[in-house]
Amino acid sequence: MSSIQINNVTKRFGDFTAVRDLSIDIEEGEFVALLGPSGCGKTTTMNMIAGLEEPSEGEILFDGKDLSSLRIQDRNIGFVFQNYAIFTHLSVFKNLSYGLEVKKVPKPEIERRVQAMADRMSISHRLDQPASSLSVNEMQKLAIGRSAIVEPRIFLLDEPLSNLDAGFRAYMRAELKVLQHEFGQTMIYVTHDQIEAMSLADKIAIIDQGKLMQYGAPLDIYNDPQNRFVANFVGSPRMNLVDGELREERGALHLMLHGGAEIPLSGKVRADFTRDGSVHGGSFGVRPQDIYFGDKRGSNDIAMHGKVEVLERVGPKRLAYLQVQDTLFLAFDDLDRLRVGDEVPFYLPSDKSLAFDMKTGRRLGGA
Amino acid sequence: MTDHTLTDRQPTDASRGYWQRVARDGDKMGFWFILPTFLLLLFIVIFPLFMQLYLSVTWWTPLEGIPWYSAWEVFNWGENYWFLATDPRFWGALWRTALIMIVAVPAQFLLGMALAYLFIDTFPGRKIFYSILLTPMMIVPAVVGLMFFLLFQGTGPVNAHLGLPAEFSWLTDVNRAMISVIIADIWQWTPLMFLILLAGMLGVPSDQLLAARLLGGSNWQNFVKIILPRMKTVIIIALVLRAVECFKIFDLVYIMTKGGPGVQTETISVFLYKQTFGELEWSYVAAIGLTILIVLSVIAAKGLAYMARKQG
Repeated sequence: MSSIQINNVTKRFGDFTAVRDLSIDIEEGEFVALLGPSGCGKTTTMNMIAGLEEPSEGEILFDGKDLSSLRIQDRNIGFVFQNYAIFTHLSVFKNLSYGLEVKKVPKPEIERRVQAMADRMSISHRLDQPASSLSVNEMQKLAIGRSAIVEPRIFLLDEPLSNLDAGFRAYMRAELKVLQHEFGQTMIYVTHDQIEAMSLADKIAIIDQGKLMQYGAPLDIYNDPQNRFVANFVGSPRMNLVDGELREERGALHLMLHGGAEIPLSGKVRADFTRDGSVHGGSFGVRPQDIYFGDKRGSNDIAMHGKVEVLERVGPKRLAYLQVQDTLFLAFDDLDRLRVGDEVPFYLPSDKSLAFDMKTGRRLGGA
Repeated sequence: MTDHTLTDRQPTDASRGYWQRVARDGDKMGFWFILPTFLLLLFIVIFPLFMQLYLSVTWWTPLEGIPWYSAWEVFNWGENYWFLATDPRFWGALWRTALIMIVAVPAQFLLGMALAYLFIDTFPGRKIFYSILLTPMMIVPAVVGLMFFLLFQGTGPVNAHLGLPAEFSWLTDVNRAMISVIIADIWQWTPLMFLILLAGMLGVPSDQLLAARLLGGSNWQNFVKIILPRMKTVIIIALVLRAVECFKIFDLVYIMTKGGPGVQTETISVFLYKQTFGELEWSYVAAIGLTILIVLSVIAAKGLAYMARKQG
């Protein structure tokens, strides 16, 4: 079990910069997700932590120590590959025992530990069978067990759930959380699936184009995104983010949307937009869950008017696509009264709306 | 569509006759396609084989003036085989051929394996070294023979480099002649071994190797436990191929030593050649040829059977 400090790490491949000036502190026993779209540099970051790639600049410290002089086999890092990298020519037992055998652990102890791990991962009935005969789900368990059995200092998982079917993925998500508590290990988890990251991790590092966009606890990131990218990336369904120009007329501030509609700003969100006087282009963000219909609930909430284009059932709720001129707002039909084609008023709560600088993507105001 | 035909046909295959399977569900097209090749093989493989078998049980030689198909006139009840079994020159040649095989093939295997292991990682100049390494294999064996003939002359570069006198002969020395031939064979055929083994080694999934390293396995442990077992089939192919090829070694030996000094480097092929064109003992040669064919078939069959077992 180790803490990890990533200090100003940059990784270049020729002209391409995969990771730039990345700094993340991971505490002992923490479960951290590296989240980002494909090609954002999260896998490169993990490979650098594992020692498979060397940073071009910066350093990665384990408990304050730099391990870069150690060979991969001496680093004691658990790594679960996306495709599991099971030794298909060996039995399940031999797969589990590999890390112990190469360290010359005495035979009886190997057997004891393999049996224990197999029981824990509920694959003990498969021990004598060739690993190639396992199902994908069992391979997943074997891959985790094989890495866990050597008690690595940290545990790295590269999109471990992406090959699983939906049902087992949900089960494995919960199982991983339990395992992490049992092993008490520092775990780093790479994923492009924000739901996975939100449900599993103690902390999430959101990376885009090699840069750290935000690092923090899932709820903080969800409620308080620091930039437009994070706001757009986290949350399901996605946050409504509409771009426009700020225009002040007779003391009233409007966001003139590119689609032709306008949002009359008031209250907190208005203050956010104006706090930094130099902003002209702004993005207005509001989560679908926060838009409401019916009576106005807060005095500063912004009244809008739109036409219901589509209604989509998501579980017990319905998602409404509201068209305001050329702009679409996504909202949950909280009163369950909408019909397609209706012209309805709806409200954007000022306190829960977010303001971003359109040019830089930076959050304006904020906590 | 392919899937469909494959699964459809499999269960019925066993119950059908060979020609029916060739003719593919009543469609005779396939049969006509393979017919020319089949006839060609019949004439260049099957027919000569039976001709050889026929001649090998007679005293027939081209000197007698009897046409070959009338060789039954000198039928000898397989005495050639009896003679063969007691011919010290044959056994000597067989032993020397085996010796070359026993020394050269493992040497080529070890060198090829070591080189292949070097080449699974990239390093500067990899492509150039790769090309250079493969050249010996592409040179005509006779030319390689000539090269080594010149290298191993008393006044040649080998002696000059080792600081040995011109009287220190390689090719005319009872022991060193064989060593020279083996060295030449290793030089020429290590590249082929390297090529096959490298292909096999590159076929080992790199993420599994990486996983093995991350689990703490040393390079040697991972080589023995992950790479080698996964290369089993390729290794067998390479070894069988080279063993069989080695058995047929001729050009190198004939050009470097002509089988000499005396019969010290005479291999089966050289022996056959001398019997054929020196002694004109064709029926005897036919008997030797068939015997060798059987020996080689056994080696190849053993290897292939092992492979088939491994593949399940």
